[in-house]
Amino acid sequence: MITFEEVSLVYPNGVHALSNVNLSVARGEFLFLVGGTGQGKSSVLKCIYREANPTSGDVVVDDWRLSTLPHGQVPFLRRKVGVVFQDFKLLRGKTVWENVAYALQVTGAGSRDVMRRVPRALEMVGIAHKSKMFPHELSGGEQQRTAIARSLVNNPLIMLCDEPTGNLDPETSSEIMALLARINSKGTTMVVATHNQASVDRMRRRVVRLVHGRVAHDEERGRYHVGLG
Amino acid sequence: MDWGKTHFFWAEVAQNFTRNATMALTAIGTVAISIIVLGVFLFARTSFNLVLDNVVNKVDIAVYLKDEASASDIDTMMRKLRADKRVDSVRFVSKQEALDTLRKRLAGQVNLGLINVNPLPNSFVVHTGDPTEVPALASDLQTNPNVAFVNYGSKVTDKLLVIRRVLGSIGLGVIILLLVATALIIYNTIRLTVFARQREITIMQLVGATNWTIRWPFVFEGLLTGLTGALVGLLVLWPAYQTLAPKLSLNLPFLPLNLADVSVSRIALELVLVGALVGMLASWLSVSRYLRPA
Repeated sequence: MITFEEVSLVYPNGVHALSNVNLSVARGEFLFLVGGTGQGKSSVLKCIYREANPTSGDVVVDDWRLSTLPHGQVPFLRRKVGVVFQDFKLLRGKTVWENVAYALQVTGAGSRDVMRRVPRALEMVGIAHKSKMFPHELSGGEQQRTAIARSLVNNPLIMLCDEPTGNLDPETSSEIMALLARINSKGTTMVVATHNQASVDRMRRRVVRLVHGRVAHDEERGRYHVGLG
Repeated sequence: MDWGKTHFFWAEVAQNFTRNATMALTAIGTVAISIIVLGVFLFARTSFNLVLDNVVNKVDIAVYLKDEASASDIDTMMRKLRADKRVDSVRFVSKQEALDTLRKRLAGQVNLGLINVNPLPNSFVVHTGDPTEVPALASDLQTNPNVAFVNYGSKVTDKLLVIRRVLGSIGLGVIILLLVATALIIYNTIRLTVFARQREITIMQLVGATNWTIRWPFVFEGLLTGLTGALVGLLVLWPAYQTLAPKLSLNLPFLPLNLADVSVSRIALELVLVGALVGMLASWLSVSRYLRPA
Protein backbone atom coordinates (compact mmCIF):
# COMPACT_ATOMS: atom_id res chain seq x y z
CA MET A 1 0.00 0.00 0.00
CA ILE A 2 2.85 2.38 0.91
CA THR A 3 6.45 1.92 -0.23
CA PHE A 4 9.41 4.18 0.51
CA GLU A 5 12.30 3.55 -1.90
CA GLU A 6 15.59 5.07 -0.67
CA VAL A 7 13.79 8.27 0.32
CA SER A 8 15.89 11.26 1.41
CA LEU A 9 14.36 14.62 2.25
CA VAL A 10 16.26 17.86 2.73
CA TYR A 11 14.13 20.92 3.54
CA PRO A 12 14.87 24.24 1.80
CA ASN A 13 16.44 25.50 5.06
CA GLY A 14 19.07 22.75 4.79
CA VAL A 15 17.68 20.43 7.48
CA HIS A 16 18.18 16.75 6.60
CA ALA A 17 14.84 15.26 7.62
CA LEU A 18 15.08 11.79 6.10
CA SER A 19 18.06 9.76 4.88
CA ASN A 20 17.68 6.71 2.65
CA VAL A 21 14.43 5.51 4.22
CA ASN A 22 13.15 2.17 2.96
CA LEU A 23 9.79 1.17 4.32
CA SER A 24 6.89 -0.93 3.19
CA VAL A 25 3.40 -0.92 4.70
CA ALA A 26 0.92 -3.58 3.61
CA ARG A 27 -2.74 -2.99 2.90
CA GLY A 28 -4.74 -3.00 6.14
CA GLU A 29 -1.65 -2.83 8.36
CA PHE A 30 -1.44 -0.77 11.60
CA LEU A 31 1.95 0.91 12.04
CA PHE A 32 3.29 3.05 14.87
CA LEU A 33 6.06 5.52 14.03
CA VAL A 34 8.02 6.37 17.18
CA GLY A 35 11.10 8.43 17.92
CA GLY A 36 12.04 11.71 19.56
CA THR A 37 11.08 15.14 18.33
CA GLY A 38 12.78 16.04 15.04
CA GLN A 39 13.71 12.47 14.16
CA GLY A 40 11.57 12.43 11.00
CA LYS A 41 8.15 11.02 11.98
CA SER A 42 6.15 13.94 10.57
CA SER A 43 8.37 14.04 7.49
CA VAL A 44 7.50 10.42 6.68
CA LEU A 45 3.79 11.30 6.89
CA LYS A 46 4.26 14.47 4.82
CA CYS A 47 5.90 12.44 2.06
CA ILE A 48 2.86 10.14 1.94
CA TYR A 49 0.27 12.90 1.49
CA ARG A 50 2.63 14.88 -0.74
CA GLU A 51 3.02 17.86 1.54
CA ALA A 52 6.76 17.30 1.10
CA ASN A 53 8.53 16.04 -1.99
CA PRO A 54 11.55 13.72 -1.46
CA THR A 55 14.87 15.17 -2.56
CA SER A 56 15.79 11.71 -3.84
CA GLY A 57 14.14 8.31 -3.92
CA ASP A 58 10.44 7.74 -4.44
CA VAL A 59 7.25 7.04 -2.53
CA VAL A 60 4.56 4.80 -3.99
CA VAL A 61 1.05 5.03 -2.50
CA ASP A 62 -1.42 2.46 -3.85
CA ASP A 63 -0.87 2.96 -7.59
CA TRP A 64 0.49 6.50 -7.37
CA ARG A 65 4.21 7.04 -7.89
CA LEU A 66 4.45 10.37 -6.09
CA SER A 67 7.64 11.73 -7.70
CA THR A 68 5.86 11.90 -11.05
CA LEU A 69 2.41 12.82 -9.73
CA PRO A 70 1.33 16.10 -11.39
CA HIS A 71 0.42 18.89 -8.97
CA GLY A 72 -3.15 18.87 -10.25
CA GLN A 73 -3.53 15.24 -9.12
CA VAL A 74 -2.50 15.87 -5.49
CA PRO A 75 -6.11 16.65 -4.35
CA PHE A 76 -7.20 13.26 -5.68
CA LEU A 77 -4.41 11.49 -3.77
CA ARG A 78 -5.49 13.32 -0.60
CA ARG A 79 -9.06 12.12 -0.94
CA LYS A 80 -7.70 8.59 -0.54
CA VAL A 81 -5.30 9.51 2.28
CA GLY A 82 -6.98 10.90 5.39
CA VAL A 83 -4.76 12.94 7.71
CA VAL A 84 -5.34 13.62 11.43
CA PHE A 85 -3.25 16.15 13.37
CA GLN A 86 -2.39 16.91 16.97
CA ASP A 87 -4.06 20.35 16.61
CA PHE A 88 -7.11 18.85 14.84
CA LYS A 89 -7.10 21.49 12.05
CA LEU A 90 -10.86 21.95 12.02
CA LEU A 91 -12.53 24.87 10.24
CA ARG A 92 -13.52 27.15 13.10
CA GLY A 93 -16.41 28.76 11.23
CA LYS A 94 -18.12 25.44 10.54
CA THR A 95 -20.08 23.09 12.75
CA VAL A 96 -19.06 19.47 13.33
CA TRP A 97 -21.46 18.35 10.61
CA GLU A 98 -20.19 21.00 8.18
CA ASN A 99 -16.55 20.19 8.86
CA VAL A 100 -17.12 16.54 7.99
CA ALA A 101 -19.45 17.30 5.08
CA TYR A 102 -16.90 19.74 3.67
CA ALA A 103 -14.37 16.98 2.95
CA LEU A 104 -17.07 15.23 0.97
CA GLN A 105 -18.45 18.29 -0.78
CA VAL A 106 -15.09 19.38 -2.17
CA THR A 107 -14.95 16.09 -4.04
CA GLY A 108 -18.15 17.11 -5.82
CA ALA A 109 -20.38 14.69 -3.91
CA GLY A 110 -24.10 15.31 -4.34
CA SER A 111 -26.30 16.30 -1.40
CA ARG A 112 -27.88 12.83 -1.18
CA ASP A 113 -24.43 11.30 -0.78
CA VAL A 114 -23.57 13.86 1.89
CA MET A 115 -26.78 13.18 3.81
CA ARG A 116 -26.03 9.45 3.75
CA ARG A 117 -22.31 9.38 4.54
CA VAL A 118 -21.82 12.19 7.07
CA PRO A 119 -24.09 10.69 9.77
CA ARG A 120 -22.41 7.33 9.29
CA ALA A 121 -18.94 8.83 9.87
CA LEU A 122 -20.17 10.84 12.87
CA GLU A 123 -21.69 7.76 14.44
CA MET A 124 -18.58 5.71 13.78
CA VAL A 125 -16.50 8.14 15.87
CA GLY A 126 -19.29 8.70 18.41
CA ILE A 127 -19.85 12.43 17.93
CA ALA A 128 -23.26 12.38 16.17
CA HIS A 129 -25.01 14.02 19.13
CA LYS A 130 -22.81 17.13 18.83
CA SER A 131 -23.11 17.60 15.08
CA LYS A 132 -24.50 21.13 15.36
CA MET A 133 -21.74 22.43 17.62
CA PHE A 134 -18.76 24.51 16.60
CA PRO A 135 -15.20 23.26 17.32
CA HIS A 136 -14.63 25.77 20.14
CA GLU A 137 -17.63 24.32 21.96
CA LEU A 138 -16.07 20.84 22.04
CA SER A 139 -13.46 19.15 24.24
CA GLY A 140 -10.11 18.15 22.76
CA GLY A 141 -11.18 14.53 22.42
CA GLU A 142 -14.41 15.53 20.68
CA GLN A 143 -12.51 17.78 18.29
CA GLN A 144 -10.17 14.91 17.47
CA ARG A 145 -13.15 12.61 16.88
CA THR A 146 -14.53 15.22 14.47
CA ALA A 147 -11.18 15.39 12.66
CA ILE A 148 -11.13 11.58 12.42
CA ALA A 149 -14.69 11.56 11.06
CA ARG A 150 -13.63 14.12 8.46
CA SER A 151 -10.76 11.99 7.23
CA LEU A 152 -12.97 8.91 7.35
CA VAL A 153 -15.91 10.23 5.37
CA ASN A 154 -14.19 9.77 1.99
CA ASN A 155 -13.51 6.08 2.72
CA PRO A 156 -9.73 6.56 2.59
CA LEU A 157 -7.38 3.70 1.80
CA ILE A 158 -4.92 5.08 4.32
CA MET A 159 -5.18 7.17 7.47
CA LEU A 160 -2.15 9.12 8.66
CA CYS A 161 -2.19 10.39 12.25
CA ASP A 162 0.42 12.87 13.45
CA GLU A 163 0.49 12.79 17.27
CA PRO A 164 -3.29 12.29 17.38
CA THR A 165 -3.30 12.13 21.19
CA GLY A 166 -0.62 14.77 21.82
CA ASN A 167 -3.10 17.26 23.27
CA LEU A 168 -5.33 14.79 25.10
CA ASP A 169 -5.49 13.34 28.60
CA PRO A 170 -4.53 9.63 29.03
CA GLU A 171 -8.10 8.35 29.19
CA THR A 172 -9.25 10.24 26.09
CA SER A 173 -6.01 9.17 24.38
CA SER A 174 -6.79 5.49 24.86
CA GLU A 175 -10.33 6.05 23.54
CA ILE A 176 -8.96 7.71 20.43
CA MET A 177 -6.40 4.92 19.91
CA ALA A 178 -9.16 2.34 20.31
CA LEU A 179 -11.18 4.23 17.71
CA LEU A 180 -8.22 4.17 15.30
CA ALA A 181 -7.86 0.40 15.87
CA ARG A 182 -11.54 -0.06 15.12
CA ILE A 183 -11.25 1.90 11.86
CA ASN A 184 -8.17 -0.18 10.97
CA SER A 185 -10.08 -3.39 11.61
CA LYS A 186 -12.48 -2.39 8.82
CA GLY A 187 -9.61 -2.36 6.34
CA THR A 188 -8.09 1.12 6.43
CA THR A 189 -4.28 1.12 6.49
CA MET A 190 -3.20 3.11 9.55
CA VAL A 191 0.11 4.95 10.14
CA VAL A 192 0.29 6.65 13.54
CA ALA A 193 3.21 8.84 14.63
CA THR A 194 3.07 9.03 18.41
CA HIS A 195 4.75 9.57 21.78
CA ASN A 196 1.95 7.72 23.52
CA GLN A 197 3.96 4.95 25.15
CA ALA A 198 1.01 3.38 27.01
CA SER A 199 -1.06 2.85 23.89
CA VAL A 200 1.86 1.50 21.85
CA ASP A 201 2.75 -0.97 24.57
CA ARG A 202 -0.84 -2.07 25.08
CA MET A 203 -1.75 -2.48 21.40
CA ARG A 204 1.38 -4.43 20.34
CA ARG A 205 1.33 -3.47 16.66
CA ARG A 206 4.21 -3.02 14.24
CA VAL A 207 6.55 -0.31 15.58
CA VAL A 208 9.10 1.59 13.46
CA ARG A 209 11.63 3.75 15.31
CA LEU A 210 13.19 6.69 13.46
CA VAL A 211 16.52 8.11 14.58
CA HIS A 212 18.11 11.05 12.72
CA GLY A 213 15.84 10.47 9.76
CA ARG A 214 16.73 6.79 9.39
CA VAL A 215 14.77 3.65 10.19
CA ALA A 216 16.61 2.44 13.31
CA HIS A 217 14.27 -0.42 14.20
CA ASP A 218 11.27 -2.12 12.69
CA GLU A 219 9.47 -4.78 14.71
CA GLU A 220 6.17 -6.65 14.39
CA ARG A 221 4.14 -6.53 17.63
CA GLY A 222 6.70 -4.11 19.04
CA ARG A 223 6.82 -1.93 22.14
CA TYR A 224 7.46 1.79 22.49
CA HIS A 225 11.05 1.41 23.57
CA VAL A 226 11.96 -0.89 20.69
CA GLY A 227 15.56 -0.34 19.64
CA LEU A 228 16.47 1.61 22.75
CA GLY A 229 17.93 -1.39 24.53
CA MET B 1 -25.09 21.70 -13.04
CA ASP B 2 -25.60 19.38 -10.10
CA TRP B 3 -27.84 21.00 -7.49
CA GLY B 4 -25.69 19.65 -4.66
CA LYS B 5 -22.59 21.39 -6.00
CA THR B 6 -24.39 24.66 -6.74
CA HIS B 7 -25.89 24.66 -3.30
CA PHE B 8 -22.48 23.94 -1.77
CA PHE B 9 -20.93 26.87 -3.64
CA TRP B 10 -23.58 29.41 -2.59
CA ALA B 11 -23.67 28.10 0.96
CA GLU B 12 -19.87 28.56 1.16
CA VAL B 13 -20.10 32.15 -0.09
CA ALA B 14 -22.99 33.02 2.23
CA GLN B 15 -21.35 31.36 5.24
CA ASN B 16 -18.02 33.09 4.74
CA PHE B 17 -19.83 36.42 4.49
CA THR B 18 -21.98 35.98 7.59
CA ARG B 19 -19.50 34.15 9.84
CA ASN B 20 -16.69 36.60 9.06
CA ALA B 21 -19.05 39.57 9.28
CA THR B 22 -16.60 42.03 10.89
CA MET B 23 -13.98 41.35 8.27
CA ALA B 24 -16.51 41.52 5.45
CA LEU B 25 -17.96 44.81 6.73
CA THR B 26 -14.50 46.37 7.14
CA ALA B 27 -13.64 45.43 3.58
CA ILE B 28 -16.94 46.77 2.26
CA GLY B 29 -16.44 50.03 4.20
CA THR B 30 -12.93 50.50 2.81
CA VAL B 31 -14.12 49.86 -0.72
CA ALA B 32 -17.00 52.31 -0.19
CA ILE B 33 -14.68 55.10 1.01
CA SER B 34 -12.27 54.55 -1.88
CA ILE B 35 -15.15 54.61 -4.33
CA ILE B 36 -16.52 57.85 -2.83
CA VAL B 37 -13.16 59.62 -3.27
CA LEU B 38 -12.81 58.29 -6.80
CA GLY B 39 -16.41 59.28 -7.58
CA VAL B 40 -15.92 62.87 -6.45
CA PHE B 41 -12.83 63.21 -8.63
CA LEU B 42 -14.48 61.57 -11.64
CA PHE B 43 -17.37 64.01 -11.31
CA ALA B 44 -15.01 66.99 -10.94
CA ARG B 45 -13.00 65.96 -13.96
CA THR B 46 -16.03 65.36 -16.17
CA SER B 47 -17.51 68.74 -15.21
CA PHE B 48 -14.20 70.49 -15.73
CA ASN B 49 -13.78 68.95 -19.18
CA LEU B 50 -17.29 70.02 -20.09
CA VAL B 51 -16.49 73.61 -19.07
CA LEU B 52 -13.34 73.62 -21.21
CA ASP B 53 -15.20 72.04 -24.12
CA ASN B 54 -17.97 74.60 -23.88
CA VAL B 55 -15.45 77.46 -24.02
CA VAL B 56 -13.50 76.01 -26.92
CA ASN B 57 -16.63 75.00 -28.80
CA LYS B 58 -17.69 78.62 -29.07
CA VAL B 59 -14.90 79.21 -31.62
CA ASP B 60 -16.19 79.87 -35.18
CA ILE B 61 -14.34 80.55 -38.42
CA ALA B 62 -15.41 83.66 -40.32
CA VAL B 63 -14.62 83.27 -44.04
CA TYR B 64 -14.85 86.63 -45.86
CA LEU B 65 -15.36 86.35 -49.60
CA LYS B 66 -14.05 88.55 -52.40
CA ASP B 67 -16.69 90.75 -54.09
CA GLU B 68 -15.79 89.09 -57.42
CA ALA B 69 -17.10 85.72 -56.20
CA SER B 70 -20.23 84.92 -58.23
CA ALA B 71 -23.41 83.39 -56.89
CA SER B 72 -22.43 80.03 -58.40
CA ASP B 73 -18.93 80.26 -56.81
CA ILE B 74 -20.60 80.85 -53.47
CA ASP B 75 -22.95 77.96 -54.09
CA THR B 76 -20.08 75.62 -54.97
CA MET B 77 -18.16 76.64 -51.83
CA MET B 78 -21.20 76.12 -49.68
CA ARG B 79 -21.65 72.59 -51.04
CA LYS B 80 -17.96 71.81 -50.58
CA LEU B 81 -18.04 73.03 -46.99
CA ARG B 82 -21.15 70.99 -46.22
CA ALA B 83 -19.45 67.90 -47.66
CA ASP B 84 -16.35 68.45 -45.49
CA LYS B 85 -16.35 65.98 -42.63
CA ARG B 86 -14.68 68.43 -40.26
CA VAL B 87 -17.53 70.93 -40.66
CA ASP B 88 -20.42 70.76 -38.27
CA SER B 89 -22.48 73.69 -39.59
CA VAL B 90 -22.11 76.45 -42.20
CA ARG B 91 -24.12 79.64 -42.42
CA PHE B 92 -23.95 82.06 -45.32
CA VAL B 93 -24.07 85.73 -44.30
CA SER B 94 -24.80 87.99 -47.27
CA LYS B 95 -23.47 91.55 -47.59
CA GLN B 96 -26.98 92.84 -46.88
CA GLU B 97 -27.44 90.66 -43.78
CA ALA B 98 -24.04 91.79 -42.46
CA LEU B 99 -25.00 95.43 -42.96
CA ASP B 100 -28.36 94.91 -41.26
CA THR B 101 -26.64 93.31 -38.30
CA LEU B 102 -24.15 96.17 -38.11
CA ARG B 103 -26.97 98.72 -38.32
CA LYS B 104 -28.78 97.07 -35.45
CA ARG B 105 -25.64 96.88 -33.38
CA LEU B 106 -24.71 100.54 -33.92
CA ALA B 107 -28.27 101.86 -33.77
CA GLY B 108 -28.32 105.21 -31.95
CA GLN B 109 -24.56 105.55 -32.05
CA VAL B 110 -23.71 105.98 -35.71
CA ASN B 111 -26.15 106.83 -38.47
CA LEU B 112 -25.34 104.34 -41.19
CA GLY B 113 -28.16 105.73 -43.34
CA LEU B 114 -25.55 108.11 -44.73
CA ILE B 115 -23.71 105.24 -46.41
CA ASN B 116 -24.92 104.46 -49.90
CA VAL B 117 -22.52 101.68 -50.71
CA ASN B 118 -22.31 98.46 -48.70
CA PRO B 119 -18.58 97.95 -47.89
CA LEU B 120 -19.10 94.66 -46.11
CA PRO B 121 -18.23 91.39 -47.85
CA ASN B 122 -20.29 88.19 -48.18
CA SER B 123 -19.11 85.63 -45.67
CA PHE B 124 -19.51 82.11 -44.26
CA VAL B 125 -19.61 81.34 -40.57
CA VAL B 126 -18.19 77.84 -40.21
CA HIS B 127 -18.43 75.75 -37.05
CA THR B 128 -16.33 72.60 -36.73
CA GLY B 129 -17.36 69.47 -34.92
CA ASP B 130 -13.96 69.24 -33.21
CA PRO B 131 -12.42 72.58 -32.22
CA THR B 132 -8.90 71.23 -32.77
CA GLU B 133 -9.69 71.12 -36.51
CA VAL B 134 -10.17 74.91 -36.61
CA PRO B 135 -6.59 76.03 -37.45
CA ALA B 136 -6.12 73.45 -40.24
CA LEU B 137 -9.53 74.12 -41.79
CA ALA B 138 -8.94 77.88 -41.63
CA SER B 139 -5.63 77.62 -43.49
CA ASP B 140 -7.26 75.33 -46.11
CA LEU B 141 -9.98 77.90 -46.72
CA GLN B 142 -7.41 80.68 -47.01
CA THR B 143 -6.06 79.04 -50.20
CA ASN B 144 -9.43 79.28 -51.97
CA PRO B 145 -9.18 82.01 -54.70
CA ASN B 146 -12.64 83.35 -53.79
CA VAL B 147 -11.67 83.97 -50.19
CA ALA B 148 -10.45 87.41 -49.18
CA PHE B 149 -9.41 86.43 -45.66
CA VAL B 150 -10.21 84.04 -42.83
CA ASN B 151 -10.53 84.95 -39.16
CA TYR B 152 -10.90 82.67 -36.16
CA GLY B 153 -9.19 84.74 -33.48
CA SER B 154 -6.17 82.51 -34.02
CA LYS B 155 -4.08 83.70 -31.06
CA VAL B 156 -6.82 83.21 -28.47
CA THR B 157 -8.05 79.98 -30.00
CA ASP B 158 -4.59 78.42 -30.25
CA LYS B 159 -3.96 79.23 -26.57
CA LEU B 160 -7.34 77.88 -25.53
CA LEU B 161 -6.65 74.64 -27.35
CA VAL B 162 -3.25 74.27 -25.64
CA ILE B 163 -4.76 75.03 -22.21
CA ARG B 164 -7.48 72.47 -22.78
CA ARG B 165 -4.97 69.84 -23.84
CA VAL B 166 -2.67 70.43 -20.86
CA LEU B 167 -5.45 70.59 -18.27
CA GLY B 168 -7.11 67.56 -19.86
CA SER B 169 -3.89 65.54 -19.56
CA ILE B 170 -3.36 66.63 -15.94
CA GLY B 171 -6.93 65.61 -15.13
CA LEU B 172 -6.43 62.25 -16.79
CA GLY B 173 -3.16 61.77 -14.88
CA VAL B 174 -4.85 62.54 -11.56
CA ILE B 175 -7.66 60.12 -12.33
CA ILE B 176 -5.24 57.36 -13.31
CA LEU B 177 -3.23 57.88 -10.11
CA LEU B 178 -6.40 57.84 -8.07
CA LEU B 179 -7.62 54.73 -9.85
CA VAL B 180 -4.34 52.96 -9.06
CA ALA B 181 -4.56 54.10 -5.43
CA THR B 182 -8.16 52.89 -5.17
CA ALA B 183 -7.23 49.55 -6.71
CA LEU B 184 -4.30 49.13 -4.31
CA ILE B 185 -6.40 49.98 -1.25
CA ILE B 186 -9.12 47.52 -2.25
CA TYR B 187 -6.52 44.89 -3.15
CA ASN B 188 -4.79 45.20 0.21
CA THR B 189 -8.03 45.05 2.18
CA ILE B 190 -9.16 41.91 0.41
CA ARG B 191 -5.69 40.41 0.69
CA LEU B 192 -6.01 40.80 4.46
CA THR B 193 -9.36 39.00 4.51
CA VAL B 194 -7.80 36.13 2.55
CA PHE B 195 -4.69 36.15 4.75
CA ALA B 196 -6.90 35.79 7.82
CA ARG B 197 -8.22 32.59 6.31
CA GLN B 198 -4.89 31.12 5.26
CA ARG B 199 -5.39 28.30 7.76
CA GLU B 200 -8.73 27.48 6.16
CA ILE B 201 -7.10 27.26 2.74
CA THR B 202 -4.47 24.85 4.09
CA ILE B 203 -7.20 22.65 5.55
CA MET B 204 -9.16 22.72 2.30
CA GLN B 205 -6.04 21.52 0.49
CA LEU B 206 -5.55 18.79 3.08
CA VAL B 207 -8.99 17.31 2.59
CA GLY B 208 -8.42 17.16 -1.16
CA ALA B 209 -10.09 20.31 -2.48
CA THR B 210 -8.82 21.21 -5.95
CA ASN B 211 -7.45 24.71 -6.44
CA TRP B 212 -10.59 25.73 -8.31
CA THR B 213 -12.91 24.49 -5.58
CA ILE B 214 -10.98 26.66 -3.12
CA ARG B 215 -10.61 29.64 -5.43
CA TRP B 216 -14.16 30.14 -6.74
CA PRO B 217 -15.94 31.07 -3.50
CA PHE B 218 -13.12 33.52 -2.67
CA VAL B 219 -13.26 35.13 -6.10
CA PHE B 220 -17.01 35.45 -5.88
CA GLU B 221 -16.76 36.94 -2.40
CA GLY B 222 -14.24 39.48 -3.70
CA LEU B 223 -16.70 40.39 -6.43
CA LEU B 224 -19.52 40.74 -3.89
CA THR B 225 -17.36 42.81 -1.53
CA GLY B 226 -16.32 45.15 -4.35
CA LEU B 227 -19.83 45.41 -5.69
CA THR B 228 -21.44 46.01 -2.30
CA GLY B 229 -18.73 48.54 -1.36
CA ALA B 230 -19.28 50.44 -4.60
CA LEU B 231 -23.07 50.44 -4.10
CA VAL B 232 -22.67 51.73 -0.52
CA GLY B 233 -20.36 54.44 -1.91
CA LEU B 234 -23.02 55.39 -4.46
CA LEU B 235 -25.65 55.50 -1.70
CA VAL B 236 -23.55 58.26 -0.10
CA LEU B 237 -22.62 60.01 -3.36
CA TRP B 238 -26.13 60.19 -4.82
CA PRO B 239 -27.83 62.30 -2.11
CA ALA B 240 -24.68 64.43 -1.87
CA TYR B 241 -24.90 65.10 -5.60
CA GLN B 242 -28.63 65.86 -5.42
CA THR B 243 -28.06 68.39 -2.63
CA LEU B 244 -24.84 70.01 -3.76
CA ALA B 245 -25.15 70.12 -7.56
CA PRO B 246 -27.90 72.84 -7.71
CA LYS B 247 -25.87 74.95 -5.27
CA LEU B 248 -22.80 74.56 -7.46
CA SER B 249 -24.59 76.02 -10.50
CA LEU B 250 -26.08 78.75 -8.35
CA ASN B 251 -22.79 79.82 -6.79
CA LEU B 252 -20.72 79.66 -9.96
CA PRO B 253 -23.08 81.17 -12.56
CA PHE B 254 -20.18 82.39 -14.72
CA LEU B 255 -19.07 78.81 -15.43
CA PRO B 256 -20.35 77.64 -18.79
CA LEU B 257 -21.45 74.33 -17.25
CA ASN B 258 -24.77 72.64 -17.68
CA LEU B 259 -24.91 69.94 -15.01
CA ALA B 260 -27.50 68.07 -17.03
CA ASP B 261 -24.67 67.35 -19.49
CA VAL B 262 -22.63 65.53 -16.82
CA SER B 263 -23.48 61.87 -17.28
CA VAL B 264 -23.86 60.90 -13.62
CA SER B 265 -25.23 57.48 -14.47
CA ARG B 266 -22.14 56.74 -16.54
CA ILE B 267 -19.86 57.74 -13.65
CA ALA B 268 -21.95 55.53 -11.34
CA LEU B 269 -21.58 52.61 -13.73
CA GLU B 270 -17.82 53.15 -13.94
CA LEU B 271 -17.54 53.19 -10.14
CA VAL B 272 -19.51 49.97 -9.77
CA LEU B 273 -17.36 48.32 -12.44
CA VAL B 274 -14.14 49.45 -10.75
CA GLY B 275 -15.33 48.11 -7.37
CA ALA B 276 -16.50 44.76 -8.72
CA LEU B 277 -13.53 44.09 -11.01
CA VAL B 278 -10.86 45.13 -8.52
CA GLY B 279 -12.58 43.12 -5.76
CA MET B 280 -12.68 40.03 -7.93
CA LEU B 281 -9.10 40.36 -9.21
CA ALA B 282 -7.76 41.10 -5.73
CA SER B 283 -9.30 37.91 -4.36
CA TRP B 284 -8.06 35.89 -7.29
CA LEU B 285 -4.47 37.10 -6.86
CA SER B 286 -4.52 36.78 -3.07
CA VAL B 287 -5.82 33.20 -3.06
CA SER B 288 -3.49 32.13 -5.85
CA ARG B 289 -0.53 33.05 -3.64
CA TYR B 290 -1.54 30.27 -1.27
CA LEU B 291 -2.32 27.73 -3.96
CA ARG B 292 1.19 27.34 -5.33
CA PRO B 293 2.52 23.79 -5.61
CA ALA B 294 4.02 22.39 -2.41
